[in-house]
Amino acid sequence: MKANGAVMHAFDGIAGRVDALGLRTIGFTSAVLGEGVSTVALGTALALASLRQESVLLIDGNWLQPSLTADAHLESAAGLAECLTRSATVDAVAQRRSGSPLHFLPIGDVATARPTLRTLSSFLAKGIPASTTVVVDLPPALVGESLVLPWAALLDQIFVVLREAATPFPLVRQTLATVGLAAPAQVVINRAIGASAALPAGMLAART
Amino acid sequence: MREHSDRQSQWNDSYLVNEVWLASQGVQQFLGTARRYRWLLATVCALIWSAGLTAAYDEYATTYESHATIWVLQASAEMAASIADQPDIPLVNTAASQQTELLTQLLQTRSFVRDVVERTSLRSDLAAAADERKFLDTTRKHFRVQTLGTNLMSVAFTAHDPTTPFEMVSAALAVREERVAKARVDSSSILSTLYQREFDVAQAQARDAQQKFDAWVAGHEEPVSDIDEHERAQLRLTLDLAQVRLNDLKGRMDRAVLAPTLLEVSGLEFQIVDQPRPESVPSGGERSAVMLAAVALASGLMLAAFLAIAGTLLADRVGAPADVRRLAPAKVFAAVPRIAGTKRHDEGDLRMRLAAIAFGDGQLGQKDIGA
Repeated sequence: MKANGAVMHAFDGIAGRVDALGLRTIGFTSAVLGEGVSTVALGTALALASLRQESVLLIDGNWLQPSLTADAHLESAAGLAECLTRSATVDAVAQRRSGSPLHFLPIGDVATARPTLRTLSSFLAKGIPASTTVVVDLPPALVGESLVLPWAALLDQIFVVLREAATPFPLVRQTLATVGLAAPAQVVINRAIGASAALPAGMLAART
Repeated sequence: MREHSDRQSQWNDSYLVNEVWLASQGVQQFLGTARRYRWLLATVCALIWSAGLTAAYDEYATTYESHATIWVLQASAEMAASIADQPDIPLVNTAASQQTELLTQLLQTRSFVRDVVERTSLRSDLAAAADERKFLDTTRKHFRVQTLGTNLMSVAFTAHDPTTPFEMVSAALAVREERVAKARVDSSSILSTLYQREFDVAQAQARDAQQKFDAWVAGHEEPVSDIDEHERAQLRLTLDLAQVRLNDLKGRMDRAVLAPTLLEVSGLEFQIVDQPRPESVPSGGERSAVMLAAVALASGLMLAAFLAIAGTLLADRVGAPADVRRLAPAKVFAAVPRIAGTKRHDEGDLRMRLAAIAFGDGQLGQKDIGA
């Protein structure tokens, strides 16, 4: 338990700043795969749930590699895609562990829908209670630009996660420019795992 | 389950798209690095290429080659047939490839190369060489013996001065000639000795047959009976056969000595069509010069590519929050610290622990968010 506490506290800093700024909807993306976006999103959601003591909805919005859904063993479950097509409601498909304020919305069937500005706007405005904090795990912006920009335009803040001493500057610049088309992004440096030498991030672990 | 596998397939397709994108991104980074450091890479290439091309030109301009072209004749069918059952066949078997092979094999021996060098101006170098074996091996590599056709072969030698190649080729041909001649003499001597022994035996048999015949004639007076006549005919036949055998062996002995000698005297076997000459103009260095130039060009390109790859891999990366100033107007919102107790480089460990906290082990259930 002590070890788990250390893991949770690692994300207290980012959760504290999100809370201090009153951000309600945030998303995490990166330049390329392997930056630890899903890990940071998961850790931040847990820390926010602990900090705010209110509902936090973690959304797996990674259309390219929905690893959070896989972690939760909800590959076959309905989720975000069904909510966007209005064939399901968030209340109906969001899952949570008993006693935990953290709710999780899996990806759903990605073949049925793609996130657009209109569907996402409707989803965020009508599908989620105003008091709920939303944390979205997004695909790499340079790879899935069309999957990230609608979220970037609608979320309170979007963060670009980069791995310390691994992500090349040119890629980060390109990512910030891409995401910046919709809204200014800020940077979260992921030191939770050490940089594996100086290889390009994209050549490192493929897991987000 | 089918729905699950369909989704997994879709995810895999998406992941493949990612990988392709990353590969193209890697190529773009490589090209970007090459563009960024183009002057450095160009300088490196220029240095290597200029050194290589200079060496190649030097090789080309200072290499002299002298060669001899040799017309090699096969022995006539009549000649070959006449001695086909004799052990001296290799001496008259003169196909170009066999002569090439012969000379090549001779060049493999240090004694042959030493004999050749001893006859040239290189003998002082050989005497002064600290390692004679190395000197001879190096010298051997400058020889080139090749078959130009079924009856044509050439011998060439390259060196960095005009006279040595001529001397070496001439000496090689001369030493070869001596070796072959000596082998012929030895072979002929052995053959002659063999025939001489057979001849001596046949001669003794003929003499014995003659004596028996003469004794029989002396012991019988004419007219003889039919039985005596038959005995005399048998003795004469034995004598005739012994004399025929004697004459046949004598003829073989003559041919064994004369056939190789005739070939050698007539020059049929090994005719030097183009005699080696001292070359005043550089030649023969084209191949090694081209090789040097190609190696230099390839090395330059490979080194440049290596530097570009290294530059790409070691390209500037975001290290500390202070580095993010270069990304202005973007700012560092937060940094997730390194976590004690989590294995370094093991994201899976951290992720697994977070997932266990968030999702438990199949303990998720549907609850209203507002609840």
